[in-house]
Amino acid sequence: MALNRRQFLTGGLAVAATSMGLTACGGGSGGGGSSDGSADLQLAWWGNEVRNKNTAAAIDAYMKANPKVKISPQPGEFSSYWDKLATQTAGNKAPDVIQMDMAYIAEYGKRKALLDLEKYGADVSKFVEGSVDSGRIDGKLVGVNAGINTPTILANPKVFEKAGVEVPDDTTWTWDQAREVAAEVTAKAGGGVVGFGQLFVDSMLSAFLRQNGKALFTETGLGFEAPDVQPWFEMIVAFQKAKAIASPSQITEEANKPLDQTALVIGKSAMQMQWSNQIEAVNKSSGGEMLVLRYPSVAGKATDRKAWYKASMLWSASSRTKEPEEVVKLINWWVNSPECANINLAERGVPPNTEILAAIRPKLSPAQEKVAKFIEDIKPELAETPPAPPPGGGKIGDIMNRYQSDVLFGRSSPADAAKKFVDEAKSNLK
Amino acid sequence: MSVISELSHIKTDHPRSAEERRARRKAAGRDNKAGYLFLLPWLIGLFVITIGPLIASLYLSFTEYSLIEAPVWNGLDNYIRMLDDARLHNSLKVTFIYVVVSVPLQLGLALAIAILLDRGMRGLAFYRSVFYLPSMLGASVAIALLWRQIFGTDGLVNQILRVFGLDATTGWISDPRYALSTIILLHVWTFGSPMVIFLAGLRQIPSMYHEAASMDGAGRWHRFRHITLPLLSPIIFFNLVLQMINAFQSFTQAFVVSNGTGGPSDSTMFYSLYLYQRGFGEFEMGYAAAMAWLLVVIVGALTAINFYASKYWVFYDD
Repeated sequence: MALNRRQFLTGGLAVAATSMGLTACGGGSGGGGSSDGSADLQLAWWGNEVRNKNTAAAIDAYMKANPKVKISPQPGEFSSYWDKLATQTAGNKAPDVIQMDMAYIAEYGKRKALLDLEKYGADVSKFVEGSVDSGRIDGKLVGVNAGINTPTILANPKVFEKAGVEVPDDTTWTWDQAREVAAEVTAKAGGGVVGFGQLFVDSMLSAFLRQNGKALFTETGLGFEAPDVQPWFEMIVAFQKAKAIASPSQITEEANKPLDQTALVIGKSAMQMQWSNQIEAVNKSSGGEMLVLRYPSVAGKATDRKAWYKASMLWSASSRTKEPEEVVKLINWWVNSPECANINLAERGVPPNTEILAAIRPKLSPAQEKVAKFIEDIKPELAETPPAPPPGGGKIGDIMNRYQSDVLFGRSSPADAAKKFVDEAKSNLK
Repeated sequence: MSVISELSHIKTDHPRSAEERRARRKAAGRDNKAGYLFLLPWLIGLFVITIGPLIASLYLSFTEYSLIEAPVWNGLDNYIRMLDDARLHNSLKVTFIYVVVSVPLQLGLALAIAILLDRGMRGLAFYRSVFYLPSMLGASVAIALLWRQIFGTDGLVNQILRVFGLDATTGWISDPRYALSTIILLHVWTFGSPMVIFLAGLRQIPSMYHEAASMDGAGRWHRFRHITLPLLSPIIFFNLVLQMINAFQSFTQAFVVSNGTGGPSDSTMFYSLYLYQRGFGEFEMGYAAAMAWLLVVIVGALTAINFYASKYWVFYDD
């Protein structure tokens, strides 16, 4: 009997673990506010070593200029950041200032966990067009763009040279041509090198759907049906048959690898999809200079490729903060002051404030400068800014990956996968 | 076990007079108080971090709870939704396969190694530690990461296969056909703790039984089958119950090896991993709580069956 009871409790441990969130605490939210401008703020972000160092330096600079404000840093790592933020929010202890991601902004914003920043004087007047609206949920600005990002294809010129293949013209290439070029690289380079590393990711699906008059999401729900996504799965099969991409096993592994071990970085692929703010990291890890290419289009015209600016991350605030004015003041300083920009440069993405960008431009590294120029160059190619994924939509990339590997491993036909993918994505939306 | 029966013999002298009985009760009361005092840290832990959250999660399982907003009562909705959740059914299937395959394999291996080590060889302590080591490491993140490297497409296993001239391009953890088997192998490898328990059990079997049997001409197999196994059956039962419960709750290996995705194609999506994804990844803590209770019911029922079935094969030598 004793064992029986113990086992019951052990079984309950799983339960206990999931409900720990109720009792877990993550440090008190700002208290001791008063009218004299003193404030005690928590600032949470995820990042890498460089960002942690920059952010700490910026916090110090702000506290020096505003001696009555005390900022407690809460650095984190992307994957655990969201578990922590969710439990903190549940326990009414969300940090005052929150580094937010597009995948989760609606999740929190629609549930009224984020502060309406414009109400307290958030200033985005100098932001470049197309960089503000992604932070709006239900008409309220709940996230201020912290850096501009855009999806790109990075190409390694050395691999192209070795294979004796010319780097394609990215202003005219179609998906079919991309497949042909990649297949040629695979065939000629040898040594296990393939044309494309990671390519079929959610941002590329988004681009593909937009080019076909659809979208990943609309304001109200899923923006596509099974017949719209079936050609996407068929395209993947075509890439696989042409050997433009690696084996299904390798692709699955690739998705779980840290950036510095991906195929492009270790010289095992000629091209790879990458967000623009990662280029510097790719260059550093690979020791080479990558070319920045536009992603392909259906029509073969860059102006028809429906590009967009994405906020690489946003600054949000807890709706329960006791210091809304102080919080917004800090965010304004972060995105609009040359002082802060000089510390962070373009590490969080290209600054959306055009004056700030002009001020720090001479200080940018060659890779960052290349990105800044690319982002300017593609202005004529921009289409509508995609809305943030609605609650329950943040994981669409994971769902897509799952059905993609079903197709790649031949466990499912493109038509079947398309239907199941749409069903599941719809049922996850709330 | 023999120690316990000796202890119970000592206590069987009965008090004669009423005074003696009263004095005894008083002493026992004092003893009880002291006992509870010593238990206090554990009791506080039990109520604060086990029973409390347990009750809270039972309540949450009847609500829709996003973590961000307050929970809203929705009756049996979560439980009804489980009937239609194909991924949940798949995760149950994966978990059952894992338990049914890995537990007997692990116990078999543990018993075999324990019998080998029981021969009283030289350097026993060393070998015991060596075999126990994986148990301590197996559930750790570091080993799961190492596993990911070893069984990768360009990992050690494939490189060795290539030395033998095979065209090894299988991803042992990235191909849905093999991923679960690889994780089962990782689990079987951590046979150390049941092995140590088996070893202790083997040491308790009096050697006279074996000696008597071999006098009568019983061979090795017969001695194992008719002496070792029956006398060891309580230990086997203990290990079986423990390891089964353990296996049902497996999380770390699958989480690390698949990078938290349960992939490829949900082939390593264990129940607890899916629960975690629902709760923290998709902000459905109410549903996750309901899933946790389903797991409690399943594991409870299987353990009850285990105890019931034990009547037919477990032999207590008292």
